Amino acid sequence: MAAESFKVSPTLQKLIDKGLFDRLPPTFSNYFFEQFRSWFTLFPAEQSYFERLFGLLDARPPAEVDAFFAPLRAIEQKMGVNERLWPKREFTLDQVDFLNRNPYYPQWRHEVVKIFNVLDPILDAEVERNGHARLAIEIAPADLDTSAERMWLRIEKYGTRVPLDIGDNPDEFLPLLLTGSPKSAGKATLLDQWADSHPRYDAWAVESGTPVMGLMKKGSGAVGYSYDRLQAYRERLMDEVRKLVSSEQIRGPRELSARLKQLKILANESDFASDPVLSEFVRAILLSGNGTLLLNNTFVEWASVEAIRRARPSMMAVGFGIRSKVKPFSSLLIYSDQDKVNPAPSQADVLGSYVDLEIFHQYVWQEFGKHPEYRNSTAMLFVGDGVDQMLVVAPPDFPVRPGPKPWKLADVHSAMREWMNL
Amino acid sequence: MKEMTNGLNKRQFLRLAGLSIADSILPRALGGETEPGQAKTHKVILVTFGGGVRYSETFADTGLHNIPRLAALRKDAYFFRNCVNSGVLSHFNSTASIVTGNWQRVDDFGFQPPGSATLFEYFRQQTGAGPLDAWVVATNKSFSTMGWGADGDLGAPYGANVVLPKQLLLGAVQDVVAQRKGEGIASRQNVYRQLESLLSEGYEGVGWTIFKQGRDLDSHVKKTLLRGLTDYINGPDAPSSGDELTLFLTTEIMREFSPRLMLVNFWDMDVAHWGSYSLYLGAITRTDRLCGMLWDEVQKHPQYKDVTTMLILPELGRDGDFDAANGFLNHRSGDPSCRNVWMMALGAGVHPGETERPVAHVDVCATALEILRAKAGAMAGRPLHELMI
Repeated sequence: MAAESFKVSPTLQKLIDKGLFDRLPPTFSNYFFEQFRSWFTLFPAEQSYFERLFGLLDARPPAEVDAFFAPLRAIEQKMGVNERLWPKREFTLDQVDFLNRNPYYPQWRHEVVKIFNVLDPILDAEVERNGHARLAIEIAPADLDTSAERMWLRIEKYGTRVPLDIGDNPDEFLPLLLTGSPKSAGKATLLDQWADSHPRYDAWAVESGTPVMGLMKKGSGAVGYSYDRLQAYRERLMDEVRKLVSSEQIRGPRELSARLKQLKILANESDFASDPVLSEFVRAILLSGNGTLLLNNTFVEWASVEAIRRARPSMMAVGFGIRSKVKPFSSLLIYSDQDKVNPAPSQADVLGSYVDLEIFHQYVWQEFGKHPEYRNSTAMLFVGDGVDQMLVVAPPDFPVRPGPKPWKLADVHSAMREWMNL
Repeated sequence: MKEMTNGLNKRQFLRLAGLSIADSILPRALGGETEPGQAKTHKVILVTFGGGVRYSETFADTGLHNIPRLAALRKDAYFFRNCVNSGVLSHFNSTASIVTGNWQRVDDFGFQPPGSATLFEYFRQQTGAGPLDAWVVATNKSFSTMGWGADGDLGAPYGANVVLPKQLLLGAVQDVVAQRKGEGIASRQNVYRQLESLLSEGYEGVGWTIFKQGRDLDSHVKKTLLRGLTDYINGPDAPSSGDELTLFLTTEIMREFSPRLMLVNFWDMDVAHWGSYSLYLGAITRTDRLCGMLWDEVQKHPQYKDVTTMLILPELGRDGDFDAANGFLNHRSGDPSCRNVWMMALGAGVHPGETERPVAHVDVCATALEILRAKAGAMAGRPLHELMI
């Protein structure tokens, strides 16, 4: 094992030293080895998952494990997986390509899904036994300019619409909801409070602008990503990508992705640059090729989905914004700041943003449902900044439900605190 | 009929009856009837929803409002409800599978040509069609190698011309931005001047391949393409879509050269990768409109009307909302939403109807060749008997 140039936890290292990974099919084990190379940029939830997954396999008799993986091995043979193409403990982009283009790829994928359909329920049951209340607040922007009845249509059947008394001052909507008091009181948000008494990476805000982060305490322990605040980093990444694509021979997005792995966020571009987990997370989000560099709400959606999948926070606020209209011609230049390459003034695309958010509400909601930490224990509040109705998707014991009169925002805040035992 | 049979022997009668039946089944031009001295001119236009589109945003009940033109044309079409892409779910491999009739597993980004011969090559070799009789009008730069495959017996001498209008536009826009003059790309004329300049410098630089037959013909091609650019830039709407330019150039090529075989690959809907559902839906509706305009062009062009079969299909779907990591943004999951799409056949040889019978992307090549009376080489796909003429 001396050849490995990366460190993992003692628990996992013990399993590696025992040769567990060498006994598993290479298309399965090599992938995980690649994940381990960046062990210290993984979130604790991910590290825990890997330790539990391989601990489970290690606990079973070797013959049983061999039989369990036999169908995958059979597919690997048909695919032509061998020592030369798949050296032990290596996983390269060429191997990704090999899998994707192999005629047996669908069958391979089917076998992998079957494996996890057996393993994950066992691991999930353990997580669910140790579960606790969780909270998610998803915020549509104040400028969305649509009635509450037209919002959250894709997911409304899973929840309950709750009327709100939003008071006279729309600017106090989020302060009252998140702190329980007007902004001038300077109270801590729920995220600050949770982060103060819980492990790192357990409270998150992901947003287009700064309505939530603007309320959070300076030096808050909560994770905060704002598309707007990442502007300097985004622009530098776009410049670098453009240069790479135009001046060098890059063989497609995969090679480009490998080249861009070095483009870490700088200290003057954010206040979390010194945190390797958070800086790598945002680099990966912005360079995933999914429009996260270009569109605010795509960033918010994908960063949220990935945070849920990877970090499994107990509390999360997700704040969308209004997307700008795409300008003629400049939309062709996908790695350019639209405002810089086209002097025509930007216009807000309110209707387009509404359509985008309707499906993003669904995607964020369903991501929570995929993971055992959140099942039957998560209160999800879908609010529109300044809108007098919200959608609540929550277990039956969550106290906010339609009553004889609309809920005051401060009361909703209190109910959320109570739910989270704060 | 009794009167007609008088004086005819049994053999003559049967032949006549057979022709009558053929005439009632087949359109005039495809039934083999031609004007004296005029060759049969069956034509095929393949139209792909490049970038991929899901059933749910098109021919599912939830999506019909996004495609009003195709939805209206369906009553005149033969509709294959289950057209399956069983291959690699990348753009290049998907479209290469359509044009070769074999599931392609080559480089996803066009660094390799299709691994087997294309329908363009079979068509040109076997019918003696000239170099201007087969065209690919596409968007993605990787499609510059889509005109012919790696089969050593055929290849470039029988390949299709490949033009990539959006790459030309992209080159022009990049140049205008770099020049930093005046209104930049906010001015249509700035962009047009640069388009003209790029085309004059040589379109090979933007990934195009046009088979030259001497300087005059080359100049003819350039003039034709420039007319398409002019129409596009000076159109009534702000020119913003690469697919609109694709249509303008396609129609110019049809008017000028009347090719018998074309692949038109629309692409705007791949904006889905940006993560904007509204932009994705807008692109689908635009593609629907452009498909309708292309069909209108077929109807009003005497060289195409009644002799053209148009096959429209998505090159692939996109990931389903529930099964995959990020739904419509991607197309790699292999779930049914990604693989199971539809195909619509319009025009010559098509009798309205539809089928649940599963067909595949690789069947398109064999079908098109059958319509063009060219023999297919070894391929996985089979001609679609529903359209056989």
